[in-house]
Amino acid sequence: MSANWFRTLPVAAIAAVAPASAGATVYLTIPAAQQALFPGAQFAEHPLALSDDQRKAIARAAGAPGYDKVQRVWEVRSGGNRAGWFIVDRVIGKHDFITYAVALSTDGTVRGVEILDYRETYGGEVRNANWRRQFVGKRPGSALRLDQDIKNISGATLSSRHVTDGVRRLIVTWQMLLAHA
Amino acid sequence: MKRFMMLGFGLAGIIVSPAQADEQYFGYTYSAELLGKGQTEAEFWATDRRGKADGHFDAQDYRIELEHGVSNRFNVAGYANFAGHHIRNSDGRVDRDFALRGLSAEFKYQLLSPYKDGFGLTLYAEPAWSRIHGGGERGTELELEFKALVQKNFLDDRLIWAANLTFEPEWEKEVEEVSPGVTESEWEKELKLEVSSGVTYRVANGWYAGVEGRYASVYPDWTHGLHRSASAVFAGPVVHYGGKKWWATLSYQPQLFGSPSPVGGRELDEFEKRELRLKIGYNF
Repeated sequence: MSANWFRTLPVAAIAAVAPASAGATVYLTIPAAQQALFPGAQFAEHPLALSDDQRKAIARAAGAPGYDKVQRVWEVRSGGNRAGWFIVDRVIGKHDFITYAVALSTDGTVRGVEILDYRETYGGEVRNANWRRQFVGKRPGSALRLDQDIKNISGATLSSRHVTDGVRRLIVTWQMLLAHA
Repeated sequence: MKRFMMLGFGLAGIIVSPAQADEQYFGYTYSAELLGKGQTEAEFWATDRRGKADGHFDAQDYRIELEHGVSNRFNVAGYANFAGHHIRNSDGRVDRDFALRGLSAEFKYQLLSPYKDGFGLTLYAEPAWSRIHGGGERGTELELEFKALVQKNFLDDRLIWAANLTFEPEWEKEVEEVSPGVTESEWEKELKLEVSSGVTYRVANGWYAGVEGRYASVYPDWTHGLHRSASAVFAGPVVHYGGKKWWATLSYQPQLFGSPSPVGGRELDEFEKRELRLKIGYNF
């Protein structure tokens, strides 16, 4: 055998893993999440273009940065009246973004949280309905902090912390930009 | 030799499909992260060390590891270490070898999580048995390595700083031929102390780029006074990629300076001129 095999082995290992890809698992489409959170309602999309100053102010107030310059926001109407807001957002996971949606009532209270796609092997417990139910009823002024009013998921701490930070940031976004819209 | 090659390619085959968790962002500095309860990870390490004061020296260390999360705070691992070397002395004599170097176990207990406690702190213990020394000579060696692993994340967990403090007593069995056909053996004690640290930034989803460095030192017969016989400082770049099921880290560590340093400011008896380490992890 060639004495150089130990140099080729790592290269062979890299070549073997190179074709592997980490595709996203889409759990819910946006329309499906909208109907799950506001059954029977109508949705009108109003993308929220955030200036750098607005993004900085939101990040400072929430204590968590956002990653989208344009926040995807839908006004929700039911029976001719505004029923609330539906917002799609991203937070960072271990390797990739976690996309999720938050439903807010007209007074900024959380009606529900849905995970739309998740790309990691571990940490997917944030999809657990019981864990997500903790957000329901949280409102502007709620702590929305892991281990305070939101229980941590052991083994999925990074994901649960970032989703919690994200929901807190969206409530701040509502307070600053949508509450009086 | 063929069986080792098949083992290596067999491992490569396992890694074919798409990985994450107790993922190592650095080649030489451990993060404080652990596998969660019930999670299992296979790791393959390959380290190339080369360059002594004269002649030709290159040595390769390989590690195949299986790690399991007993709980969210406690991980255990076992690994087999293999070693190869190629030495050509200044007189032209060539020495080549490749063999099973030894076996090790690893225990990690996390006291603080980097994701919710402000900073991460994990205690690490690694008992090991070796039948080949780092320089390639055959001889029984027992090691007990203790580490404190510290990790602090910044910028929404996109910037990761980690540092390790290592305390590693070793016992080497030295066999001496006192007269023809008569040998005597004794255990020599040695202590290795190391401080390592690295910082890495998430430059794109899944990708991290950073630098890491370490100060390593050796104290022979340390129970009778701490007298350093050799030390060296290494530092260099590190690149890490983490995918859905697997991750890989590549770290290059040239020796910047060492002591004693009769040649070019580097210590080249205990340590080498440069090291390159590749780690690959696969999560089940």
